[in-house]
Amino acid sequence: MNRMKLRQILLVFLFSFAATAQDYPPNVNRTSSWIIYQAIPSFSWTSFPSQKNFAFEWEVAPLVYSWGMTKQVSPWSSFIVNPVRRFTGSIELIFSAQVYTSNPGASNFGYSAQLLGHFPLIELGEHLALNLGVAQYVVNNLSSTYYVVGASSLFGLLHYNVKYAPSADVWINAIEVRLF
Amino acid sequence: MAIAGILLIVSWEGCNPLPFQFFSRIVGRSIAPTELVPNKVADPIRKDVRLSVLWIGHASTLIQIHDKVFLTDPIFTKTVGMLAKRSVEPGINPASISRVDFTLISHTHMDHFSYGTLTTIPRQGRLFVPPNALEYVPELGFAETLEMQWWKTVERDRVKITSVPVQHFSGRYGFDSPWMYNTGYNGYIIEYAGVTVFFGGDLGYNSTLYKDIGVKFKIDLALLPIAPVEPRDFMKRIHTDPAEALQVFEDVGAQWMIPIHHSTMYQGLEPRLSFAKEELDSIVTARGMGDRVFILRFGEQKVWE
Repeated sequence: MNRMKLRQILLVFLFSFAATAQDYPPNVNRTSSWIIYQAIPSFSWTSFPSQKNFAFEWEVAPLVYSWGMTKQVSPWSSFIVNPVRRFTGSIELIFSAQVYTSNPGASNFGYSAQLLGHFPLIELGEHLALNLGVAQYVVNNLSSTYYVVGASSLFGLLHYNVKYAPSADVWINAIEVRLF
Repeated sequence: MAIAGILLIVSWEGCNPLPFQFFSRIVGRSIAPTELVPNKVADPIRKDVRLSVLWIGHASTLIQIHDKVFLTDPIFTKTVGMLAKRSVEPGINPASISRVDFTLISHTHMDHFSYGTLTTIPRQGRLFVPPNALEYVPELGFAETLEMQWWKTVERDRVKITSVPVQHFSGRYGFDSPWMYNTGYNGYIIEYAGVTVFFGGDLGYNSTLYKDIGVKFKIDLALLPIAPVEPRDFMKRIHTDPAEALQVFEDVGAQWMIPIHHSTMYQGLEPRLSFAKEELDSIVTARGMGDRVFILRFGEQKVWE
């Protein structure tokens, strides 16, 4: 991808809210676009009792139930999830993988499963939604249950979640980018 | 800050100041006060009228044809897409709208399909959305929601509404626009009791499309967008400027025109917010079209008895 193309894509993304856009390539495949978008990582800072670790995180949502959408569409979606389906009220199953930039112990890798609910607060959740849920993280071969609370904003694209595991006394601060 | 940083880098790297100009315009407006609209119409729904149009701002209009009330692309929020602040407040208090029979959405962009607005207006009527837009429609409590494929006509309460193709683009978040390339947007023809209105929504110029609409319908009034204008190369495919809007007006063969989609918020790089309106005014004056093209002030209601 040349620099001009990259710049056009960034422009289109950044200025869509102003309803100003350049020509688009026709019939872009939704699935292939979605796969590319999923490469954009989320970020988290994990505070273990003895150390702090930064991690990149990638998430997929194999199952989402949305109760805030018009009844004319199915409340169920899988993997490719329009943000409006999340922030207008939903609960989703999320699988994620983490890569820690500094070794937290036995390995640089972790993985998790989360059950996360989104509850609209402002403008049907498009401006602000509350996130509540539970997560099971496996890091350092140690599996812990976390409670999750946070908020999503910027049209459901940006999430900030705090996760706490009382049994291990571990905190995770996560900034999550969810593009479909 | 992150977005600002990315914009700066992209601008610098590509030697193209366009995104920086857009961003600085939007940020500049966010600190400027919103202009108030004096003497708003308190009771816009009239007892005895053939046709009336109240321009609320941007593409939002309140149309009354005899006893039926229509609301187009309603936006009453202070910002659009959280970041772009409207420069002029809505031309009517939403509480003044006691009844809406038909709410028409032309596409899913945030300056036309406002979730925050649709939860504040009367929803006892019907909501019309463009092709393949249901995926963007929350449960809003309307009596009926209809997804309108191009050239589909539905009749409700003796009102015929037809979805017509226009030239624009869709999606809501930017990254979804590519796969909504040729769908998710439309215009509407409203036919009721001998009156026909064309609501153009948001469109670029395409003579074939609009002449075809003119062949199929005998239009009394066309509501047509005239902005954003600049930079023209960037906008041309998707936004008509005043001269092109007048050409659409001629192509569809309408009797009257009211310009929409201008002067409400910065979406282009015009030297001033009223640029498109002033340009239209000068063309209309030069061509002697003042009895056919009505440039309304915010909150002004044009009435045909």
